[in-house]
Amino acid sequence: MSYKIPMGPYHPGLEEPYKLDMICEGETVKDAELNIGFNFRGIEHLAETRNYVQVIALMERVCGICSFIHTLTLCQAMEKLAGVEAPPRALYIRVVMAELERLHSHVLWAGIAAKLMGFKTMFMTCFELREKVMDALQAISGNRVNYSMNHVGGVNRDIEDPIALVPMIDELEREMMRTVIPIFTTSSTARSRCAGIGVLTHEKAVSCAVVGPTARASGIPQDLRRDAPYAAYAEMKFEVPVEQAGDVRARLFVRALEIIESCNIIRQALALMAPGEISSAPEKLIFATGTATSRVEAPRGEVMYSVSWKENSRNPARVHVRTPTYANMPAVRWMVRGARLADTPLIQASIDPCYSCTDR
Amino acid sequence: MTALDTNLDTNLDTIREKLGTAEPWVESRGTYWLDPGTARPRDAAWAMNAAGARFITITAYELPGDAGFRLEYHWDLEGRLLGIPFQIAGKTTESIVDIIEAADWIEREVYEGFAIVFTGRVFEPLMLREGDKPGVNLRVAPVQDEPASGLPGQKEVVQ
Repeated sequence: MSYKIPMGPYHPGLEEPYKLDMICEGETVKDAELNIGFNFRGIEHLAETRNYVQVIALMERVCGICSFIHTLTLCQAMEKLAGVEAPPRALYIRVVMAELERLHSHVLWAGIAAKLMGFKTMFMTCFELREKVMDALQAISGNRVNYSMNHVGGVNRDIEDPIALVPMIDELEREMMRTVIPIFTTSSTARSRCAGIGVLTHEKAVSCAVVGPTARASGIPQDLRRDAPYAAYAEMKFEVPVEQAGDVRARLFVRALEIIESCNIIRQALALMAPGEISSAPEKLIFATGTATSRVEAPRGEVMYSVSWKENSRNPARVHVRTPTYANMPAVRWMVRGARLADTPLIQASIDPCYSCTDR
Repeated sequence: MTALDTNLDTNLDTIREKLGTAEPWVESRGTYWLDPGTARPRDAAWAMNAAGARFITITAYELPGDAGFRLEYHWDLEGRLLGIPFQIAGKTTESIVDIIEAADWIEREVYEGFAIVFTGRVFEPLMLREGDKPGVNLRVAPVQDEPASGLPGQKEVVQ
């Protein structure tokens, strides 16, 4: 006999508001329905009512974890319409901030995944490390969540002493290599909760067009930082970790390896950062009529903004945001099919979902 | 030109030929655009699937007056962002969900925001604003036969 078990929109096993209706037979999930929209704020509509300064502050609120990425993507699109290019130093600062945000997101995710595995000690360890990443973000921007770093044509704050940040990054990497990564990748607790669980096959991952670590854990070697470089990524040397298994463990591995790559990228960017201006924005910005798009590899995968402007307007005519969780979430239905009910919180968490982004 | 670029250009030419359009791909602000001519979104979906392109999204724009809508379909092909715009005069267009599974949620979102109906598919309840009416959030004026409820229909402008 089948029965439906609703999980959410507010449930201890879910970190954010959404609803997973699971059709079960015994303890086995046969199918699932996903319901989102509990955090809908109409941000795309609001964006049309804000001028070119206000819209940046607004879009920073699309997501709490990757707030920098959203303003970066928006500003890159607006720079194309305004015919403005950010100076080289600003591009390096954007790389540093984007990678710190990736570290922040991945460490936060590791903590939540540990909690869902019943591994509370690791949860506390990850959140302690997260504080250190936030300290670095605060040292640069003055803020711990919404950084207010981007504007059209550059960044708002300089990294005055780039070399001073290196020990902070080194210590972070040491801690990752010493505790988090070995325990996650070798402990029997993590293995038993993650290996062979929530498999998304390569074929299904291609069909669902998933992005980011979710795609890379299913054998899809895509990463915009390498495939369509923006900011100063063309000058960075890094690997794109790819796993083939498509299970929760593969998604965990990919993020663990990305943490190391992010530390490498930050060190490179800090070393290559030459003195210079951090903004090339003119006193008055004039936007061309038309549409511009921009894509950025956020911690959870590709973010894309389409921005449209009308002549002599201070406000965008349209801002469309395609967030990574919006692309990844439908695949959860396929991941939970055949899974044990008790594994579903961890499976849904393994895509690192963000409902603030998804609902907008 | 590298071997990768040559392969990519060949793929782009193949897509163009499959859509039967004589217009070339045009690069504008980092996106490669193709005028589809008389081709339909479903033709583009087939051609993109055959080329191995990854579907990204559909961006809808409401055109002034009664001109209808412009739907921009986006794909990624080997890191290159491709865009194919389709203009629709009324408020219906064909769904591509049976060809591209990944288009499901974005078609539902466009339906909710603009009340554009994608034919040939089943619409489940509203995704982002369950219990509300479609077309009240992103349309310039509320849809006449489906009056807005709870959300602003007229766009206020902050000066």
